[in-house]
Amino acid sequence: MTFIHAIQAEWLKTKRSASNWLSLIGGFFIPTIMIIGAFYNGRTINDAPGNGWNIVYSNAWQNMAVFLLPMGMILAGSLITQIENKNNTWKQVHATPQRFTTVFFSKFTVILLMTVKFFVFFNIGVLLYAFLPTVFLEGGFPHDSFPFWDVLKLNVKIFVACMPILAFQYLLSLNFKNFLVPIGIGFLGLIGTMIAFTFVKHIYLSPFSFNLYALGIKKAWFNPSFYAMISFVVITAISYFLYMRKKDKG
Amino acid sequence: MMNCIETKGLNYHFSKNDQVLNDINLKVPEGSIFGFLGPNGAGKTTTLKLLLGLLKNQNGQILFFEKPFQENRIEVLKNVGSLIESPSIYPQLTARENLKIWQKIYQCPNEKIDEILEIVDLAKTGKKRAGKFSLGMKQRLSIGVALLHDPKILVLDEPTNGLDPSGILEIRKLLTRINQEKNTTIVISSHLLSEIEKLVTHVGIINKGNILFQGTLAELQDIQNQQASVIFRTDNLKEAFVIFKEKGIDSKIENDKIILPSLAKDKIAELNKELIMRGFSVFEISQQRNDLESIFMDLTK
Repeated sequence: MTFIHAIQAEWLKTKRSASNWLSLIGGFFIPTIMIIGAFYNGRTINDAPGNGWNIVYSNAWQNMAVFLLPMGMILAGSLITQIENKNNTWKQVHATPQRFTTVFFSKFTVILLMTVKFFVFFNIGVLLYAFLPTVFLEGGFPHDSFPFWDVLKLNVKIFVACMPILAFQYLLSLNFKNFLVPIGIGFLGLIGTMIAFTFVKHIYLSPFSFNLYALGIKKAWFNPSFYAMISFVVITAISYFLYMRKKDKG
Repeated sequence: MMNCIETKGLNYHFSKNDQVLNDINLKVPEGSIFGFLGPNGAGKTTTLKLLLGLLKNQNGQILFFEKPFQENRIEVLKNVGSLIESPSIYPQLTARENLKIWQKIYQCPNEKIDEILEIVDLAKTGKKRAGKFSLGMKQRLSIGVALLHDPKILVLDEPTNGLDPSGILEIRKLLTRINQEKNTTIVISSHLLSEIEKLVTHVGIINKGNILFQGTLAELQDIQNQQASVIFRTDNLKEAFVIFKEKGIDSKIENDKIILPSLAKDKIAELNKELIMRGFSVFEISQQRNDLESIFMDLTK
């Protein structure tokens, strides 16, 4: 129960915060551009060859997952911890009757939940992209049946690919009070990984590589989702170790 | 009276050559308002952070109600409310929302939020976000956070820092009320004795990581009395000085007066009689008492 209450408390802290706005604006950003494009070109999901839903989702994720999504994860992983750094509230959090383990994992859980929220908004946005042009331009609905399981599988695959980024950013933001440091390192890591992705053999050691594998930009000789999970667990374990060993928790 | 906080041989250093605390043995009696005084950089915040487990204890023991802090951290912190340095608030949230966060963590009843908002006089702030509060309001909200779970001990690090006189008075009234109504032990640090001497029952003075004085306010006032002096103004200072010396009184001439150490009333009368009998004109006999602030300054020199 203590852990659940801790998560509730952490969730309340995100109300009206930058990370909250980020999930909303970030989630709807690409779908909004796609909706504007659809109305501008007068095209709908029904104009696509084959099952329109697959093409819509594939396009939406291609636009999102290469750069914008990891950027969003870099910001989300850093902004939630920044709430405590910026307001100088770590001392208050650590003087409460909670185990440090509870503090660490409740905050991390909220970062993951915020990412889920981001995914939910993105999916709502894609659904609006599919529905709004057909309703207003054609006066009907999409013809093709909605491939629920495929969409869910794709979402889960990309979410898992993002988890190492979240763990890495959480590690950085717990150890650097200056907000620019985790953001800067994350940004350089992402750009560096994108550049090196095609020609560096062991690029899978970078936490920023898994979303590129998930999109199939390079064929992997391993299961990217499995490796992403291992990367996530290893980075989280290092992060936890460093957090627990911190001498000054004020 | 039982000590609700006790430290034994507390030492702390940030680096090898930077010893911040030396053998701190604090004793905070239950139900007291303990003023923890010292100039900036004396080691007050480091001590309070160690008490709350915000810094890893390097050497020495910390006891709360005779139980070691380290082994009983969760249980101890259930009974401690704190405000360290600046107010700990989330500016994008209202006062109520801020308290709601801590209510979830402390798992206290929802009604406590309304009660605390009344106590700290923030019940009418409604939807106003805490970031738009005045410093005094932020400070009161932080005290509200510290009070939310009805702690037996309140640890407040310079809670009146940056407040104007009316803000200081408000906080003082609030703390006195809490101490009297709920018998909450309050440890309050400050670098100004004058700011808290009207509030505290006990005082601890720290400087350069060493405790220089620890005891009741009355004991500190005793030192004040001991350091008082008697002033004589006569028409012939030099001869009067010789007479006092003959009587075994260690006096000194300063400008147009002779300063003697604190004396009993009858002794002062006797000296006066002696001077008049010898034909001196005595213009003034007065007692000069050092205020507590100058004693504090002397101790921390």
